[in-house]
Amino acid sequence: MDQVKEIFLRKNRCMGCHSCELACAVAHSASKNMYEAMGEVPLPKNRVYVEAVSENLPIPVLCRHCEDAPCMHACIAGAIRRMEDHSLFTDADKCIGCWTCVMVCPYGVIGRHLDAQKAYRCDRCPDLEEPACVSACPTKALVYQSVTTFSKDKRRHAAEELSRGEGK
Amino acid sequence: MAGHLNHVVIGASAAGLSAACAILKTTPRARVRVVSEEKDAPYFRPMIPFIISGKKGSSDVKMVGQGPYVQEGFELFTNTRVTRVDAGQKRVITDSGQIVSYDRLLIASGGKPYLPPEIEGVDVEGVYALRTLSQARAAAKRSSNVTHAVMLGGGLLNLKAAFSLLEKGLEVTLVVYSPEILSQLMEPEDAVMIRNALEQAGLKIMTGCSARKIVDGSKGVCSVVLDDNREIACEMVFIGKGVRPCVDFLGDSGIEIDSGVVVDRYTKSSMNDIFAAGDVAVTFDPITGERIVTGLWTNAAEMGTCAGKNMAGCPTAYSGTFGVMNATQVAGLPFVSMGVVHPGNNEHEIHKNISDTSYRKLVFSKDGNYLLGLVMIGDIKNAGLYRFIMREQRNIRFLKEKIIGQSLTSADVMYG
Ligand SMILES: Cc1cc2nc3c(=O)[nH]c(=O)nc-3n(C[C@H](O)[C@H](O)[C@H](O)COP(=O)(O)OP(=O)(O)OC[C@H]3O[C@@H](n4cnc5c(N)ncnc54)[C@H](O)[C@@H]3O)c2cc1C
Repeated sequence: MDQVKEIFLRKNRCMGCHSCELACAVAHSASKNMYEAMGEVPLPKNRVYVEAVSENLPIPVLCRHCEDAPCMHACIAGAIRRMEDHSLFTDADKCIGCWTCVMVCPYGVIGRHLDAQKAYRCDRCPDLEEPACVSACPTKALVYQSVTTFSKDKRRHAAEELSRGEGK
Repeated sequence: MAGHLNHVVIGASAAGLSAACAILKTTPRARVRVVSEEKDAPYFRPMIPFIISGKKGSSDVKMVGQGPYVQEGFELFTNTRVTRVDAGQKRVITDSGQIVSYDRLLIASGGKPYLPPEIEGVDVEGVYALRTLSQARAAAKRSSNVTHAVMLGGGLLNLKAAFSLLEKGLEVTLVVYSPEILSQLMEPEDAVMIRNALEQAGLKIMTGCSARKIVDGSKGVCSVVLDDNREIACEMVFIGKGVRPCVDFLGDSGIEIDSGVVVDRYTKSSMNDIFAAGDVAVTFDPITGERIVTGLWTNAAEMGTCAGKNMAGCPTAYSGTFGVMNATQVAGLPFVSMGVVHPGNNEHEIHKNISDTSYRKLVFSKDGNYLLGLVMIGDIKNAGLYRFIMREQRNIRFLKEKIIGQSLTSADVMYG
């Protein structure tokens, strides 16, 4: 089976530099260029958000493209659908801006274009080799991998930590 | 053998189609027949105000193939009404006398608008209790040739319909019995901001009065008479006084009814192999545990999915829903209202944040450790996060400062 890639977070690597947010906004601008993007109306919006649990624990959050996605089932307009690569897609033409998806998303990662009255979210940058946030992350806190690769890496990492006596 | 079970679903809307999709996803070889009284193919019911405004056509709002409704393989019978359920023989009877047997039956017949018996003339031409696409088309047609509509009831449905008429250039008057609009979703002082926005957008609002009579003229409705005998000239009337579960065909079925079809945590009714979901079902509030009947698409879809899994032999508990759980945008103002929104005097701890552009009311338990409800107007950021902690009944003692200070993020909830 073709391995679908997802964006994963390696929690303790994020330094809170917000590079992912900037890269995301630029990737979703009309010009795709940072300097021009800053002058665009409406201002391009990022879909990844670096939130802070505390000052020294920044965490980037973004759409998980959930398996049993509450937003997709809740949408009263049929505007949210699952794409072939398993990502969720909000169809701006169908979206009526009722914000039902915002109300049911437990991660708070669905954005709102207030003027256009349209919801938006991470689309994993379908036109890029790798999502812009991942490419921009200097510490590789965000990685773009298949579930199996990611969990293999994670297990290997845990094993290494254990053998070094660093495991919890 | 479950793969070959014969499923019948009554109602082809949020609950019915969600169930049909879930059944086929779980057991692809099952037989699923969905029966609908309506002539139209299934559509997104909450979208019908856009039919009135003309922003969408009937084909823009169809369900099959859209959103999560992409599962293929169920058989759809439109324009077919189930008149009786014979639970003993495990079969349903339709209006054309057809007998349809089932192994598992889902009742997803939804709700019907409530028409208050004290209003005279509800059957006059030009009076609508908006629920179906065909009614919306009829209302759209009439609204193109008239100048004034009166809306009876100050709920969300009427506000949406009112806006679709305002957009078409009609004069619209909202007649509300309660002291304030949206009384089911918030307290009067919560609604002030929305009311102001509605009035600025051109809606006329009359509170504290109700209609007594709808007067028939030569071309249908010509006016509405209020209880204080004031008369408002109009050519259209919309009645938005809530919905009641559609259970008229279940009279002799033996299924337990308490306003709607009573179900257990696995969406099963009192009879074996009969399930119910959506507006027709009696569900429960996860916080209070109280029996409730909801009128929510979101709930119908979720409960329908759950019922479908149960019918297909994959036991799935339904976690209930808040009776109030609405999000929308009216007159340019987004708002969310959910959970306990009418707090009692000394039973809750209440926090409000009010600015020029936003209003937020948080309702906590008396001991302050649980979030039970909220109203957010203007700024609805992270509403889903609050819903999550409410539904999970998280003790939020350590998050409370952030909740009140509006700085809570999903990082706090998931990793904090
Ligand atoms: C204008 C409008 C706006 C709304 N906006 C929102 C919103 O923003 N958010 C939200 O959450 N909800 C909204 N709702 C409510 C939402 O549409 C309902 O909660 C939802 O449709 C319920 O789904 P259901 O599947 O339970 O039943 P229904 O949608 O009521 O469907 C039941 C179907 O069963 C059919 N049926 C009934 N009896 C029989 C029978 N005996 N035989 C065969 N067929 C039968 C009916 O004709 C109907 O087609 C709105 C509703 C309206 C009318």
